[in-house]
Amino acid sequence: MSFWDKMQKIDRRIIYALLVIVVAFPLIRPLGLPLSYSDTTLKFFDEIEKLQPGDRVLISLDYAPSGAADVHPQTVAVSKHLIQKGVKIAFVSFWEAGPMFAEQIMQPYLDSGELVYGEDVVNLGYIPGANSAIRSFGFDCVGSAPKDLNGKDTASMPIMQGIKDCRDFDVVIDFVMGSPGTAAWVQQVQGPLGINLLVGSVVVEVPASMPFVQAGQVKGLLQGLRGAAEYELLSGSAGIAAAGMDAQSLGHLLIIGSILVGNVAYFMSKKQPKNNKQ
Amino acid sequence: MRKEIPIALSFLAGIIMLIDSFTPGNFAPRVELSKWLIIMSAFMVGIASVNLVRIHGANVISRRKGWFNSFSLLVMLVAFTYVGVMKYSYPEVETWKVLFQNFYDYIMSPPAAVMYAIIAFYVSSASYRAFKARSVEATVLLVAAVVVMLGKAPVGELIWSKFPVISSWLLNVANTTGQRGIMIGAAIGGFVTSLRVLLGLERGHLGGV
Repeated sequence: MSFWDKMQKIDRRIIYALLVIVVAFPLIRPLGLPLSYSDTTLKFFDEIEKLQPGDRVLISLDYAPSGAADVHPQTVAVSKHLIQKGVKIAFVSFWEAGPMFAEQIMQPYLDSGELVYGEDVVNLGYIPGANSAIRSFGFDCVGSAPKDLNGKDTASMPIMQGIKDCRDFDVVIDFVMGSPGTAAWVQQVQGPLGINLLVGSVVVEVPASMPFVQAGQVKGLLQGLRGAAEYELLSGSAGIAAAGMDAQSLGHLLIIGSILVGNVAYFMSKKQPKNNKQ
Repeated sequence: MRKEIPIALSFLAGIIMLIDSFTPGNFAPRVELSKWLIIMSAFMVGIASVNLVRIHGANVISRRKGWFNSFSLLVMLVAFTYVGVMKYSYPEVETWKVLFQNFYDYIMSPPAAVMYAIIAFYVSSASYRAFKARSVEATVLLVAAVVVMLGKAPVGELIWSKFPVISSWLLNVANTTGQRGIMIGAAIGGFVTSLRVLLGLERGHLGGV
């Protein structure tokens, strides 16, 4: 077996070990690679910056723990920025795991007394029914979520006063990792009602969301962990996403290196005469 | 009647949804139907739980291979449900709330995140072994993938400032063109299938009646 044949059959555990090293190293010793801002992140940030204290924002948490590494840092960064601006937030979810992410975000602010539940923030919980539930909620928010996550009446909460449909929220943000998600919000609510829709998405969902962004149906888009990192830097509070970008960079480099070495080995192996391959 | 009644119900529900799409404001029958759908979807969660208990209960009882995994699943299903019901029933008791959040944060979230993170290892291994420029199409895909990866990672900008520009072009022009085509095709397909269901020509959802 020639050198290039051996290279083609390299033990996968070596690649796994290399990946662990290149991802762990920058997390321990950050490299501080510079980060530019994408257009979609800047548009997202500008929409949030337009909000005034007392405005109300709906955040739909449509993701699960499996995609949280990519999306949750976006939710944390945007929620933090909204709270700093004095904007009121209503959380809802069409994925069963979503409400617990809202609890994680709200709890420290509620414990410190910075926010008052029912006035500044509310967790409307999980609404089953995918696209139909999104449509129903979009057209009749309180009717579709009459009780919050803990069974309290939402109609009597100050934050929900005057809210009939999603147009009554100044901005609707969907943090999403799959279906139901961006397409459902655009087709079921944004199209018929013309709401101000922003999206934060796992990076693999970004290609599917781009037609909606270009059509102006989605006004801003955060793209995966990088989108979260860009938003953290724009809002002046670097956090876990910005710290993770170096690790992601080196991870990408390793994968690109793997592709190149794998291809060189493949072509060199093909070039060798068959009798040399013994 | 086993055939006619479900077809008539499907037609009625579909027509209500269709009328709603062409009616300004809230079409009352659609509002009511949407509430029914939410309730039915909630019941489906219950049916799924019963199904899980049946399948995994049988695994445990007959000591099939991996029965301990089934047992763990059943224990967590019961524990999570119990804590969740107690949390909802006694919202003033902080213990149930903290316990439920801890179940979620420290038992459910880590394995789910790990399952997703493991993909990185498969991707790195597969990129080495399988991502080969064997044909023109494969080479185009390979080059596009490398450029997009470099364009999305900060290190790509350090290597060449044009990587993000080319990456954006690939995403905004080449990708979006294809995505639009897929969306329009899927929408037309969905419309045709819906029409067949409404007219009773498509009966797969009736369980072969």
